[in-house]
This record gives sequence, C-alpha cells and structure tokens, in this order.
Amino acid sequence: MPAMVDIDKRGENDAKPVYKVIEAIRRGEAVDPTLHPDMESLEGVIDVDMFNLYYGDTRALFDINMAIPRGKVTALIGPSGCGKSTLLRSINRMNDLIAGVRVQGRMTLNGSPIYAPHVDVIGLRKRLGMVFQKPNPFPMSIYENVVYPLRIDGENRKSVLDEACERALRSAAIWDEAKDRLKQSALGLSGGQQQRLCIARAVVADPEVLLLDEPCSALDPIATLRIEELIREIAKRYTVLIVTHNMQQAMRVSDYTAFMYLGRLVEYGPTSGIFRRPILTETEEYVTGRFG
Amino acid sequence: MTETTDPIRVRSAPAGSKGSMPFRATPPSALGEPMIWLTGGALVLCLVMIVGLVAMIITQGISTFWPRPIDRVTLNDGTVFLGVPTEFQEDPPQTLYRTGNRDIGTEPFRWVSQSDIQSIDRPEYAVMLERSAWSVWLGIPERAILVNDQGEPTIVAEGPKAVLAFIDEHHAKARARWHEIESLKKHDLGRVNKRIEASRLRVREAELATRREQKPGGNFGLGAFVLVLGLGIASAGAAWYVGRLFMRGDEQQQLEGPSRGMRSLRMALVLVSLGLLLAAWLHAPWKDRNITEAGLAEIRQAAAEREAKYQDQYAIILARIAELEAQDERYRLEVIDPRTGRFAPARQTEPDNPMRLSQIVRLVDTNAMGSSEKVGVYLSRWWEFLAHPPREANTEGGVFPVIVGTVMLTLLLTFTVTPLGVIAALYLREYAPQGIVTSTVRIAVNNLAGVPSIVYGVFGLGFFCYTVGSYIDVGSDPSVRLPAPWWWVLLATTFLAFVAGYAASVWAKPVPGSEPTTMNRVLAWTARLLWVGVFIGVVVLIVRTPYFNGFFEARAADGSPTFGSRGMLWAALTLALLTLPVVIVSTEEAIAAVPNSMREGSYGCGASKWQTIRRIVLPGAMPGILTGAILAMARGAGEVAPLMLVGAVKLNEDLPISTNAPFLHFDRSFMHLGFHIYDLGFQSPDSQAARPLVWTTTLLLLTIVVSLNLIAIIIRARLRARLSGSTV
Repeated sequence: MPAMVDIDKRGENDAKPVYKVIEAIRRGEAVDPTLHPDMESLEGVIDVDMFNLYYGDTRALFDINMAIPRGKVTALIGPSGCGKSTLLRSINRMNDLIAGVRVQGRMTLNGSPIYAPHVDVIGLRKRLGMVFQKPNPFPMSIYENVVYPLRIDGENRKSVLDEACERALRSAAIWDEAKDRLKQSALGLSGGQQQRLCIARAVVADPEVLLLDEPCSALDPIATLRIEELIREIAKRYTVLIVTHNMQQAMRVSDYTAFMYLGRLVEYGPTSGIFRRPILTETEEYVTGRFG
Repeated sequence: MTETTDPIRVRSAPAGSKGSMPFRATPPSALGEPMIWLTGGALVLCLVMIVGLVAMIITQGISTFWPRPIDRVTLNDGTVFLGVPTEFQEDPPQTLYRTGNRDIGTEPFRWVSQSDIQSIDRPEYAVMLERSAWSVWLGIPERAILVNDQGEPTIVAEGPKAVLAFIDEHHAKARARWHEIESLKKHDLGRVNKRIEASRLRVREAELATRREQKPGGNFGLGAFVLVLGLGIASAGAAWYVGRLFMRGDEQQQLEGPSRGMRSLRMALVLVSLGLLLAAWLHAPWKDRNITEAGLAEIRQAAAEREAKYQDQYAIILARIAELEAQDERYRLEVIDPRTGRFAPARQTEPDNPMRLSQIVRLVDTNAMGSSEKVGVYLSRWWEFLAHPPREANTEGGVFPVIVGTVMLTLLLTFTVTPLGVIAALYLREYAPQGIVTSTVRIAVNNLAGVPSIVYGVFGLGFFCYTVGSYIDVGSDPSVRLPAPWWWVLLATTFLAFVAGYAASVWAKPVPGSEPTTMNRVLAWTARLLWVGVFIGVVVLIVRTPYFNGFFEARAADGSPTFGSRGMLWAALTLALLTLPVVIVSTEEAIAAVPNSMREGSYGCGASKWQTIRRIVLPGAMPGILTGAILAMARGAGEVAPLMLVGAVKLNEDLPISTNAPFLHFDRSFMHLGFHIYDLGFQSPDSQAARPLVWTTTLLLLTIVVSLNLIAIIIRARLRARLSGSTV
C-alpha cells in the first residue's frame, strides 16, 4: 500500500512529458518529420522521396522524405522495429530478396532512380557497399574475401587484385594484422577483425555510399571502439549511412542523425542538434534513454 | 498439512525454520533410468549383429586361400581316397572331404561318416593340382613322360620324388609356353579378326548408303526454314515497333540505350548464324557422296583384297600356335587317383591320354610344406584372385575383370548422379518458388527412393538400352521420320518459340518493388507454355529427324548392336536414376544449411544469384553434397537386381577400359561383384567348391565400397576443415 502512494505522488509532482507527435503516429495520422534548420538545403547523395514499403499487407515505412548528405556520416536511430534497417536495406534493394515486398515512392542514388523498371539491381548493389549486423566473412581466405566484389566483376589480374586488397585492408585498418595471413581462412579472425574485414570488402570496389547495418551490435566494447574509429576515418572518403541502437555511438561517429519511430521519420538534423537541442520532447526523451 | 497429505512431492521443512528449502524427490519414472538401458541395449544389439556379420565375412573370406592338408582315407570297405577335409559335423560325426577329380566321374565333395573310416594318414607326396580346367585333381604323381618328335613316349621320371623334381624343372617353361599360346589366340588373332570385321563393316556401310536417299526433301526444307525464320523475325520487329509507339519517352530511351541495342543485335546474329551453320551441316555438299553400283563393286573388291591379306596373317599366327602346341604336347604327367587307380586325363573325352604339364596352374603338396611355403601358396592364391581373370565358370581363378567392372561402374555412376542431383536440388531450393508444386515435387523425389530397384532395371532396359541406345546405333525409327520440309518448319517454329519464350519471361518480371500486374501474369504463363512447347519441339526434332542414321548402323545391321544392348553406360545411368533421390535430398539439406547471412553478404557485394550460388552456396554445401555422393555410391555399388537386366554378365573378360581407342568402352557389358556373388553361390556348376569364394568375393566387395567411401570421406573432412577455417 505505501508503494502505491509513492507512485501517485510522483505522478502529481513531475509533469508527465507530452508526446504530441508519437501520439499522433499511434493514432495513425500522417506526420511530417521535424527537420532542423538548414537540413532542407543539403545536397543529398541519396534522395528519398515519399517512400513507402509494405511487407505483404503490413506497411513498414510511411512516406519517408530525407536526403543523405554527401561525404558525411548519417546515423539512423530509433527503437527496435522502427524501420531503420528496412530503410537502409531498401537503398541497395536487399528487400527484393524477401517475397511479398512492395514499394511506393522514389529513391535516387546520385540522381539515378533506384526503383525503376530497367534498373540493373546487380549494378546498383555494386555502387553501394554494405556491412551487416553480424560479421559475415565468406568461408575462404582473407585475400579472397576482400577481392570478392572484384572477382565477381570478372577482374582476375593478380596485380590489380593485390593492389586493391592491400588498399582496402589499409582503409579498414586491418592490414597490419592480416598481411601475414592473407592466404588463411577468414574464419580464423576474431569477431572485430572479421567485421573490419567485411568493411574492407565493402570498400574494395569504391562504392558511392557505405551502408552499415548495426555493425557493432555483435562486438565487444574494444572492438566496437576500433570500428567507430574506423568509421570516422572512412568517412573522410565515403558517404556513410549507419543504423545503430547505441545512442553514444551515433553521437560519436555521425554528423547527422535521423530519429525514426514506427516506420516514420520523426526528427532529422545535425547530430549535435539532435542530441543537445532536440526540437521534439520525444527525441530528447529517447536520446536520454527515458523513452523507447 | 502438506506434509501429511503428500509426503512424496513436498517434504517441506517445518514452518519458520530458516535456510532450508522444500525438498522434492524425483520419482524414478521421471529420471528415465530404464530408458538408458533400453536405448543402450538396442544399440548393442544392432552393433552385435553388424559386427558379427562383418567378422564372419572377414574370417571366412580370409581363410579361403589357406592350403589345407591332404588326407589319405581308408574306409572299412577297403576304398582308399585322397581328400581335403573342409567341414565337420558333430552329430552324427562325419567329415566333408573335397575329393576333386571331377573329370573321371567322381563326386568332387563327399561326406564320410567317422564310423566308416578305418584309418587316415597324410602321405608326403599327395598333391593337389589346380588345373586350367575341370577344377582340382588329388593324386600321387607317379610318372613323367616326354614324347619325342616321332610321337613315341619315354618315361623320364618314375616315383613321386623324381616326378616332383621334373615338374620343378619344366613347369615354369611349360606355363610360359601356354601363356604365349593364349596370348596369341586372344590378342593377335583378335586383332586380325577385328580388322576383318572392320573391313566387312565398311562394305556394309557403303551398301546401306547406296540404298538410302541422300538428301531427304532436297533443298525445299532449307527454304522453308529461312521463310519461317524470316517471317518470325519480321513479326517480332513489327511488334517491337508497335510497342515502342505506346511507350513513354524515358522508357524508350532506356530501351534504346546504345549497349542494350548492340547486345540484342549481336545475340540475334549469333542465333541466326547458329541456325545457318546447322542447315549447312545437314545439307553439307561434301557429305553428298552418291555411291553407284560400280563404286560399290569397287569397294567390295578392295575389301576382298584386304581380307585375303588378313587371312594370310591369320594363317601365320595359327602356324605359330600349332608349333607351340606341339611342344606343349610333349610334356605329360601321370598323377594317379588312389581310389580308381586312374591318372588325370588331358581331356575328359580322352581318359587314356595323361595330362599335359602345362595344364597345372599350381601344384600344392601341402603335406610336405613348411609354414613359409604355405604362406607363399596363400599369397600366390590371393594374387591370382585379385589380378587374374576367372576360369572354370568363375569358380576358379581370379576376379580382376569383376573388380574393374565394379569400380568403373561405381565411379561412372557417382560422376553421373552427383552433378545431375546437385543441379536439380539447386533449382528446387534456390530458384523454384517454394509452394505446393515444389513441395509435391520434393515428396515425389523422396518417394522415388522407395521404388524397388528391379523396376529401375526394367525401365533402364526398355528406355536406355532399347530406345536411347538403338537411337544412337541406327538413328531415328524410319516409321516416325518427319518429311524434311516439315522438320525444317518445326525447327524454325521451335526456334521462334524459344526466342519468344525468353522475351516473355524477361517481360514477365514485375516492376521492382511492386505486385505483378495481370499483364505480368499472362506473360509468365505464356512463357511457361512456350518453354513446354520448346521442350516438346526439341524432343520431336530429335526423335523424328530424317537426317540421323546412327553412329553404328552397319554393326547393328549385322546383328551386333553397340549401344542398343546392355552395357556399362546404361547400367550406370540406371543406377544414377536409382540413387538420384539420395543426392537431391542431401544436397537440398546442405544448401539450406548455408547461412543466409552468407548469401546476403554476397548479394550486398553486387553478386548475381548465380554468382552467389557458384561462389558461396555450392562451396558451402560441398561437404553435404559429398555426403550425398557417398550414400549414392554405397547404394549403387551394392545394387544387383537392376544390373542383371541392364548390363552385368556372368563372364566378359573384355574390360570397359583398355589401351585400344577409345580407351573407355562404356558400351560393353561388364562383370560386377554383386552379381558375381550371386552367380558363384547359386549359378555355378560346382557350387560346393565355389562357396568359400562367395565369402572372399563378399569381403572384396565390402573392401572396395569401404575404400571408395573412405576416399570421399577424407575429401569431405578436408573440405569441412577448410570451410570452418581450422586449416589453411
């Protein structure tokens, strides 16, 4: 009985935050994303325009409008099931592999449409590098793993492959650890090394955008730290889009952050803005860990 | 309260006592102690049965070739005979003696009751002769005879010791001579025979060719082909033009992109030139050799000249053989059977003519042998068994052709069924939409494994040997041949249907990320129908072609079909069909076990589906595929019933592999260990004598299957290790 009284008292004293946007979303109303100033004028390498996605009858993405800025790191954050991975995977059309997926709306990569009847999806994926949640090196040697994207392009000249392999491994900060065991199986590497190898594989063919789908969620803190450093390093050369569950990670690695909820883009702005001066209460509560 | 009502389930400590948890006793039924014994016992029972079987095969199989002592048995009624004791029975006590000497009419095996025996001794000079015909002879060597050039016999050695010394001195030479005779008969005469045969076949071919119309349908067929193809291309062009009128500007641009247009053009050019090449080949002017009657006479004349030359060669070889045989006839032995007092004859029909020295394959005087000599005989018998062809209706000699046949068949079967099964499983698991149709197909495939193997044998005989085989031999059946113009029309139609089907299946793909429209569905079904049509068209084109007269027409006309009868190729294909479900099922499982993250990673790198399958899925599934191959191999190697119908024979010393072109003779019938076991045990004239060989042959079959499997298992282990990254 005394505990109940305590809760009641707190309810009276602390003003319960008002989630206007979230409530509207839950009611099923259309909600425009809250954009920070000067987000409108950004030049996007990827432009998403009124993009919707359905898994069969279930709608997973609702009228997403956003531009992924060129040469920057953009983080997608939000609670589980909010559609951030779905959005990431619809950029390189990995969702095509799932039966019953339909899309509406437009999405362009450097101005060329991603969803159009005559788009060569294989060619499209070659322009994008992707790193997955769980490290997934192929069961072959480290060397073959890295040059895989080139091999499937028909590149078999040893000098070209050797050069590309070293460059990619250096970019992924794993060259020093791997250079003496290039011919050994990639499965012998530790989890963090495997993930950096996957990053090397993703950048070996010089992609236009690097898509990272929770790249650190299966790694220990030290390995996570190294990957984060690596992302900052890689961002000097590539546009990066990263999905993450980890708020601190988003804060550390990204230049821009998009907060998603239930398939909608809720707030989008520079990372410093989202974390220090969020416009919406929901965002503030979420990034401080009180909501979601 | 609880304590009193339910003492087993809850024995809680008295209320208020601190630190003791309620105690629950587990009933024995929940512990499942008896189940451990039951399951363990069942396993032990299985193991005992299997180990018992294998141990029996090994002990029986290994002991077959050990030389046993030769007893001289004197019975109460005064009969004396030589015999090798092979089996004993307790009640009533009696012994089975191998007495041999079949050619003078005695029983080769004899049960003798212990009470009938007066005495047994082991004379030092009793010998067992393993002969090149009529199985063993047991006797005492008494005289060696040398016949001089005038045909007068002289006794050159008398008494067992002297005769054995004579044998020691001359046996090797006599055998060498005998081998030379055999080789002359088999190889040299065989070669001349083959040449005569080839020459005769050439005449036959020419005869068949003169009777046949050279260009069925003349040039009209080619005209029809060009006409239909032209019409098809024109209509496709028109359809494309009309379709373009209804397209939006941006779509038009994409259709007319420079690379796309060029690629289509190149593709079309390649296809058209392929068709024209085919037409040119079938209407080849250089093939048009009209053989006139005069030409035929010329060919016959040439053949007769050739054959006369071959006959001369034949005669030379025959003379050489006669010379050697005359030499061989000179060395003779009298080895006397103590019961009848008769010596071993040279032939069953000439009982007064003592045997020739060269008829002895091996002389075993066990009673005089030390153990090292026995080991020598044992090993030499094993060597003969493994490396020589059989004799005496398979009951003696070796099984070399049988081993070769079995191994070749198993390898051929494995290398046929594995790619086929893997490709089928790939489609089922990776490409086919997973629905009710695919599930039905999968169930049907699994059920195929349960069809009795003899059914496959009947199918193989009817389809492979008599249908496909005779097509290869003599070409399409004259009664179903299409008239040439119609054949060309069908060819062009099939060709157009192929192009249309390809186009339809490309257009049937819905716009990415959206539901297929009605148009897409209609196109997809059109494509399917067109594919079925193309398939039927190709089959009809092949089966009813007026152009194909077979590769071995002349030989088939002579009554000796090449592929149109039972042979190794068809046996391997039949067994491949039989073992296909095994491979498909295990490959499917292996493919399904490749983690999806691997596939996604590959797609994410921009790999196409096929590249992903080839570079990621297949290597990952390779251990599982090898498991399927191992199972198929084991099943196929042990199968006998279908083989009896499609190719295994009692005796064929012509191996399916040889140094004569084309080196692999998959059209030949072959010997097979499984069938050999059946033949030895149940079909041989002297099955009593063959019985130990059944065990040895079984042991051999087991060894071969196990070693083939071991090789595959080792490869699989290496692959697994490489996949899991534990080795380089």
